[in-house]
Amino acid sequence: MPTVILLDLSLSMTRPIVSGDNDFQRKHLAIQGVSTLLDYLAAHNRLEFTALVAFSSLWELVVPFTRDYKELKEGLNRMDDYDKTCIETGLAGVSQIVMDEWGVGLPCQVVLVTDGSPGVGKGSLKESLERFYSSQQHHDDLPTEGEEFPLPFPFPSKLHLVCLATPPEVQGVLGQLQRLVDINGGAGGVYLPEGELNMTTCQALFSKLAETQFPSVTWTLKCGHMSSEVQAVPVVETFKKTYDSGPVVREPSQEMEILGFLDSKDIASPAVISRHLVLPKPTKTEKDVSEGGGGASAEGDGDTAEHDGKAPSFCVLLHGSLKVESMVALVQLGESWYGFLYSWADSKKKSNLMLSVLEPGEDAVSWLGKISQLGPVASSPHNPYGEDDTTSPYPVRHADKRSYAQNTTVWIKPSGLQTDVQKILRNARKLPDKQQTFYKELNRLRKAALSFGFVDLLEGMSAMLERECTLLPGTAHPDAALQLTHAAKELRLAINKDYDDNIAPLQTHFSKSDND
Amino acid sequence: MAAQGNTQKIFPSSHKTVVILDHSPFMSEPCGQTVDFDILPKSRAAPGIIPLAPLAKSLWTCTVEAASEYARVVYDVYPPRSRDKLLKFVITDTEARSLNSWMEEEQSLSNVLQGLAVVGPPSDSDDAENCSVMHGLAMAVESLCEGSEKQLELRASLADPEEPVVNKGRVVCITTVKSQGHIQMLEECMQEAIVQHNKIAEAADKLPITHCELVLIHTVPVGADNNIQDQPNKEVSSLLSCEVHSVHSGRHIAAKLALLVQKHFHLTSTTITGIPMKEEQNASTSANYDVEILHSKDAHIEILKMGYDSSGFACSKDSFGRETVILKWCTPKTNIVELQYCTGAYRITPADVNSRPSSCLTNFLLNGRAVMLEQPRKSGSKVISHMLASHGGEIFLHCLGTGRSPLEDPPSISEGAGGRVTDYRITDYGDFMKENRLMPYPVPQEGHILPKKEATAVLERTTRYWPLVISDTIIFNMASHIDPLPTLITKAALTEDDVLECQKSIYHLVGMESRSEPLPIPAMGTRGKGPKRDEQYRQMWAELDTLLRAHASTSINHQKVLECLQEIRRPAEEAKESSRKAGKKEEVVVKEERVMTEQSTAELAWQEIQRYKAMSERERSDFERGNTNNDHFRHRQQTELSSPPIKKLKTSLEDSQGKQQGGPPSLLAIWTSRIKSKYASRHCEFAGRLTAEGNKAELYVNLQKDSTNGTSDKPSGVKQEKRGP
Repeated sequence: MPTVILLDLSLSMTRPIVSGDNDFQRKHLAIQGVSTLLDYLAAHNRLEFTALVAFSSLWELVVPFTRDYKELKEGLNRMDDYDKTCIETGLAGVSQIVMDEWGVGLPCQVVLVTDGSPGVGKGSLKESLERFYSSQQHHDDLPTEGEEFPLPFPFPSKLHLVCLATPPEVQGVLGQLQRLVDINGGAGGVYLPEGELNMTTCQALFSKLAETQFPSVTWTLKCGHMSSEVQAVPVVETFKKTYDSGPVVREPSQEMEILGFLDSKDIASPAVISRHLVLPKPTKTEKDVSEGGGGASAEGDGDTAEHDGKAPSFCVLLHGSLKVESMVALVQLGESWYGFLYSWADSKKKSNLMLSVLEPGEDAVSWLGKISQLGPVASSPHNPYGEDDTTSPYPVRHADKRSYAQNTTVWIKPSGLQTDVQKILRNARKLPDKQQTFYKELNRLRKAALSFGFVDLLEGMSAMLERECTLLPGTAHPDAALQLTHAAKELRLAINKDYDDNIAPLQTHFSKSDND
Repeated sequence: MAAQGNTQKIFPSSHKTVVILDHSPFMSEPCGQTVDFDILPKSRAAPGIIPLAPLAKSLWTCTVEAASEYARVVYDVYPPRSRDKLLKFVITDTEARSLNSWMEEEQSLSNVLQGLAVVGPPSDSDDAENCSVMHGLAMAVESLCEGSEKQLELRASLADPEEPVVNKGRVVCITTVKSQGHIQMLEECMQEAIVQHNKIAEAADKLPITHCELVLIHTVPVGADNNIQDQPNKEVSSLLSCEVHSVHSGRHIAAKLALLVQKHFHLTSTTITGIPMKEEQNASTSANYDVEILHSKDAHIEILKMGYDSSGFACSKDSFGRETVILKWCTPKTNIVELQYCTGAYRITPADVNSRPSSCLTNFLLNGRAVMLEQPRKSGSKVISHMLASHGGEIFLHCLGTGRSPLEDPPSISEGAGGRVTDYRITDYGDFMKENRLMPYPVPQEGHILPKKEATAVLERTTRYWPLVISDTIIFNMASHIDPLPTLITKAALTEDDVLECQKSIYHLVGMESRSEPLPIPAMGTRGKGPKRDEQYRQMWAELDTLLRAHASTSINHQKVLECLQEIRRPAEEAKESSRKAGKKEEVVVKEERVMTEQSTAELAWQEIQRYKAMSERERSDFERGNTNNDHFRHRQQTELSSPPIKKLKTSLEDSQGKQQGGPPSLLAIWTSRIKSKYASRHCEFAGRLTAEGNKAELYVNLQKDSTNGTSDKPSGVKQEKRGP
């Protein structure tokens, strides 16, 4: 996930720290620390984007989101000194930068580096928080006038506040900083260097932050006995969501176990919570790359291990086949938590194995049915894909139909009723050919009238059918008149009859002869 | 703070809604609006026909229509099978009747409509004095005390049975109140009912109400005096909040409920503009229509958070006061097969379900087409933010990722580990994937394993031996020769016929070897000239052995197939060894079995097989046992063994340990056998020993001459060999 480094460049950051012979400013510590973090990211999370923002009473985007860590480091060296600290402004800047770049759906990490001086007057941390809490109390869900407090960020985020100060210096401020983290949803934290403030402790702090908050996780991608060590980029986050029936928290298990395969068209663009590139990890020995149950083949041992690119990887094979066949592999990521792997191409030339993570739950994709109830085609006596691969068991159809998929009657607008009445009359004129449709529509109207307590309509419709009977042309089939009279009579009687007591066509000798 | 936010979200008021419909005689009054139902088309406007008088809907009809529409929207957007949003209908006159329960199977519009038909319109004859909406309110409270299926499941899963389950609800009551005081009275009655029922609930096995929201809708005929004012939501007590909506009947009450359903169920409206549709009258031309749909607000989370684009937001033309997001229809171009990056998929329902444009759109989608929707923008590039598509008879609004992707410009997979390998078995794995596609199964019966588990079990079985690259395998490159064995052997169970088929495959290979047919070894991946033909066969047999061993543990029949291979191979190898003895140079022995006269090997193997086939089951097992015993015996007796027993020894060793070991011979095995064969070269006394073993000597009559010398002079065996023919 992208990272924004927000660096405090207020005047207080230029305060010197006397440590030994060297004369450092806090700013230098901050720059050195961020540099440590960037080095870590360059080594472990090369594909992540990072942006560098400076703030004081204003904010400035120093380096826009990039993977070019050199550029970020150069940006660090261009830092000037400005006026007072205004954390709220800095956070608002981050909010705008992220929204402009990624929108609101992508989780981001925000690392704020400050010396813990909260600022004074308007825009100081204390004043900002007071304003936030009062706006919370007074206008409950109404948006505050003027500038809104930037927290919580509109995008999912972790907020790390790095405070380059010794505990006594920031005693009163720590609580306020923690409150910022809480307002933002609680992910992240406030960090202080351990011990006295100097280069070493500061670097240690940033290294620790990097290792704990920017980990690179190794997953095992497996399909039966075939397996590959892979890395998911960005890291798959712990899932947290509160549903109607309670909160759900899921930790990724670090094992992607393939359950089986599906055609791309069958999985049909379901909603996903995140997407990740799946990259095969460079492996040390050939055994790690692949083990086909009975053991690796005798050939290909020895020298191949030395060249990563040349040792076969299951991950690459899987990608190739998924791409050629336009299929996806359904994988399990944790307890009742699934995702799917497929070949994804950013450009025409380069394609990659991509993992789309579904929302935890067996019903993550409604048209697949419950995922735990997906089983192997091999165990079924009938192959639902057919002999020539033209059929498919998907989408799974549910017994209950939505209103638009059945003939729902709504008469709130007069046009709704008029259309239904006209439909019956149109069919009435084509009796006896349209007898089946005529009675079907008539019964639909009857049922709706009974449900809505609209009995006058039954009377009216009955009168209309009688009139239609008199208007029949001389050439009309004799059965038409009989059916119309019958229907008109039955419709009147329906008022006192059961809802399910459908009006059946009159059995005339015409219809009988038709049947014979 | 976060914890508090969570409890607010658990079982929100929208989880359970009771809709109370006043069924008292007053509701049979006309609503004040009439509906023309007899529209004579111009073509049929014959003289003398007077259209029937317009019909007047009653207050009751308007109420029922509006309430059913409310239910239709809820059930469409939140299908009852998800059991998240439940509705219960209560009819109240002199008593209260409920039309359905919270159970999933009773949650459907048709069920409610049927219930309403049974109730019928209110009758004037009812005793108006005894009719009261209070009966309904009391029943509503009682119903809310009943747990929904999900609530009961949660309660059952809680470790502490005393821990209260959040139980909130909403009561929508459509009635006509007499005065402001009447509203007051209803509130009090409701409050009292909740308090009373909560007491009962604690004693009985029910759920006390945490909070209830009463939405009172006061309705009067259109044009009638209405002295009741709207009242915004206010907290009556910690248990009850109340709001009052005062509306005229007819279309107004329907509009009010359409608004309320959005508010109550977190819905919003989108209008899709510019949908081209063929004209009914004139099929050659098409006009553009708009269709309004309702769906969860979450589908527009991006737009809501980012702020409306000035042109992307407009008010619905219905003057219902509904806000609607405008999205433009894009003529379908993209293939639905293409996987879209979709951040959310929400069920929709048309706001006006049976209007012609709505049904045109829904039918288009239900027929399996998908349509992209773009945000109307006056300037800048085109932004496609949503997609409408149906899946299994339900229409979804998919939200597409519009922001920049952090995954852009990744390194190609060919640049990573394993990326430079060019001979992956892509096609084979493609076939493997097709064979391992998933299909939905019904809920497994008690004691049966989940289909998902079965799927992983199949994958486990079928990947026991699965070489990744073409150059690592021989047997999987010769499908036409070896089929159906590789397919059959991965099955969970083999029939007798299957075993026979597998054996046939093995015999076929033996035949190939005997005819010296070249093996289809791909040129790719082999360095230099590649192994010689007999070496290829050796590798092939070793690989087949690996495959069969990997599956031998599946069942007895699988074991039988492996045994078949072993039995066939044993005499063949023996024969090889023998033929080696027939060789003329000492080198032959040193080089182990690599240099052999192909013909004699094949011939001998064939003879062996023929003989073996001719044996009865009993004889075979005896034959087998005899051999093994012999080996062991010799092993114990003689340390300076000749080469044939060594080979056999190896086989017997594998027999006992083979299942775990599997795979082709290890480096150690190759090395030991090499060393042993070197040893063997110094002890070439076998020829003499062979004559001592009656029947075996018979096979090699041409060797008799040598052997006679050999028996008499064991130590000089090497020289004897050298001097041979």
